[in-house]
Amino acid sequence: MNNILTIIKKEFSRFFRDKRLVLGTLLLPGILIFVLYTLLGNVVYDKNEVYTVKTIYPSAVFSSMFAPGEGEKQTIKLEEAKPEEKEAIKAEIRAGKVDALVVLPENFDEIVGSGNFVPMPEAPNIEIWYDSAHTSSVSAYNMIVSVLDVSEDMLGSLYNVNFTAGGNLSTETEAAANYVAMLLPFLILTFLYSGCMGVAPESIAGEKERGTIATLLVTPVKRSQLVIGKILSLAVIASLSAISSFIGTFLSMPKLMGGNIGDMLSVYPIGYYFALFGVMLSAVLIIVSLISILSAFARSVKEATTFAVPLMILVMLLGLSSMMFTTASVFAHFIPVFNCVQVMSAIFSLKFSLVNFIVTMLSNAVYIVLLIFILTKMFQSEKVIFNT
Amino acid sequence: MQEIIRAENIRKVFRLSAKQRKIEKSETGQKVALDGLSFTANEGEIYGLLGPNGAGKTTMLRILSTLIKADSGEAYVAGHSVTREEEAVRASIGFLTGELKLEDFFTPDYLFGFFGRLHGLSAEQIASRKKEMFERFGIDRFAEVKVGDLSTGMKQKVSLVISIIHDPAVIIFDEPTNGLDVLTAKVVTDFLEELKKQGKSILISTHIFSLVEKLCDRVGIIIGGKMVAEGTLSEVRGEKSMEDAFFDIYKRTVEGE
Repeated sequence: MNNILTIIKKEFSRFFRDKRLVLGTLLLPGILIFVLYTLLGNVVYDKNEVYTVKTIYPSAVFSSMFAPGEGEKQTIKLEEAKPEEKEAIKAEIRAGKVDALVVLPENFDEIVGSGNFVPMPEAPNIEIWYDSAHTSSVSAYNMIVSVLDVSEDMLGSLYNVNFTAGGNLSTETEAAANYVAMLLPFLILTFLYSGCMGVAPESIAGEKERGTIATLLVTPVKRSQLVIGKILSLAVIASLSAISSFIGTFLSMPKLMGGNIGDMLSVYPIGYYFALFGVMLSAVLIIVSLISILSAFARSVKEATTFAVPLMILVMLLGLSSMMFTTASVFAHFIPVFNCVQVMSAIFSLKFSLVNFIVTMLSNAVYIVLLIFILTKMFQSEKVIFNT
Repeated sequence: MQEIIRAENIRKVFRLSAKQRKIEKSETGQKVALDGLSFTANEGEIYGLLGPNGAGKTTMLRILSTLIKADSGEAYVAGHSVTREEEAVRASIGFLTGELKLEDFFTPDYLFGFFGRLHGLSAEQIASRKKEMFERFGIDRFAEVKVGDLSTGMKQKVSLVISIIHDPAVIIFDEPTNGLDVLTAKVVTDFLEELKKQGKSILISTHIFSLVEKLCDRVGIIIGGKMVAEGTLSEVRGEKSMEDAFFDIYKRTVEGE
């Protein structure tokens, strides 16, 4: 036990006393992710964007289609224009000053009001002018077309959709939860993996490569103590690195998805956070053990990093799996890493199952013990330790 | 004389990679490093394993230090079996070879504490031992300099001090003066004699005849993984110099095959 602590302390000293490692593993990931996501958010998502659309021959019916509902923000601002301004407005669209121009039939309200079906060639035309070189113009065009499509179908009047009743039943909480449930398990797994990648190959393959591990092996320390000490300290450092990435992600969330961190986090009961912590801990221990085993096989840090790439792809695919399907099957929760993704996804989408959680934790505990056992056996093997 | 190290019929075969196979011109894909090697070293003596490169000296020492395992045979160090009581063997030996490196990032001071704790020494024991050894080897001048910034000689001194941090009864040194400048080499050989005076048992491997003549009480000559001559210095070399005696034995062995 003392030996394990001594090893852990040494691994921590090696890491925390090295400014470059601390900067590169703990601070940079968070900062980079924050900067990257914030920039990305500014480019792809602007929730306050309002499209300016000019209409010639304005109509009350048309305007009502774009009136914001209760609690919604206005996204399309309609401005009236005169027919003779048409060419001038087109120029403005090309210049990006106006997003779109809609030229309605002169008597649009009457046509809609009469409810008479007019066959195709004679049906009145609505002109929409836009410029595909401007993304906001394309967005405005798509929005107008989809609104008109739905309205036209309903004017045909076989049936109405969501006209007098109906609507989205999801509360904002659930909507936020659903969005997060898809994305977060993948992000968490990715961060944990890159955290492990940052430290494990260096600590195992690096020590082998430099011949410092043999110095440890001639002390009376048991191989198992050495392995446990290494795995535990690497798991802690990898987790800290992942936490740094999380902080970066959460801080950039409002920019990226337009959510609010406080709202998003308060959705979940406190117990869920403990469960999440447990799952993440077991995930990081499994990943760090797997990378350590690969690193022990490797002759150098470089080789270890190469070995870890296929594993990374596998782990990422498992992380993405929750976006495609979720399963409540107990048996699926015996599969390592996959079970972590499923439980995390269940937690985030507020569908937490205690049984699945316990199965995940217990089976992962067995896997971790098994992996530590394998690594201990490898450390006892001269073919592994002296294959450099 | 009480025996302290006993190797019985140790055999060790290494599998060769395809590349090594070509170099060694081996058709079986194997290299027999130790071919039934036996020897006994006594307490309070310096025992020298003498042989050319590739004779199996380092392999033998690695087996004694439990870093690698013999394919067959058994060895005992200070009464502990190297196959069944690995931790006890490691606790009773100080093992030093050029391959055992220290992490560049740490200072001699930190590493001394770290390895002291791994050997189960108390903080007081570490402190007093550190004072004594650091002064003895002049390490106190660079105790707070990272190992990566030390010269080869300084590093070797730190390695030496750390390998005997726990004051072991048995000291095993693989090529103790290899790669050292004359001054550091002298420090090391003087220290080995001093350890012997303290009653320690020492096993060294070397291919340097003068070192054997200077230090060793008993010597074993290994050629091709086999012990071809063993005894006290005078028994092995007779009236000749160690060098002449070795080449006589070598000639006889190789031609006799």
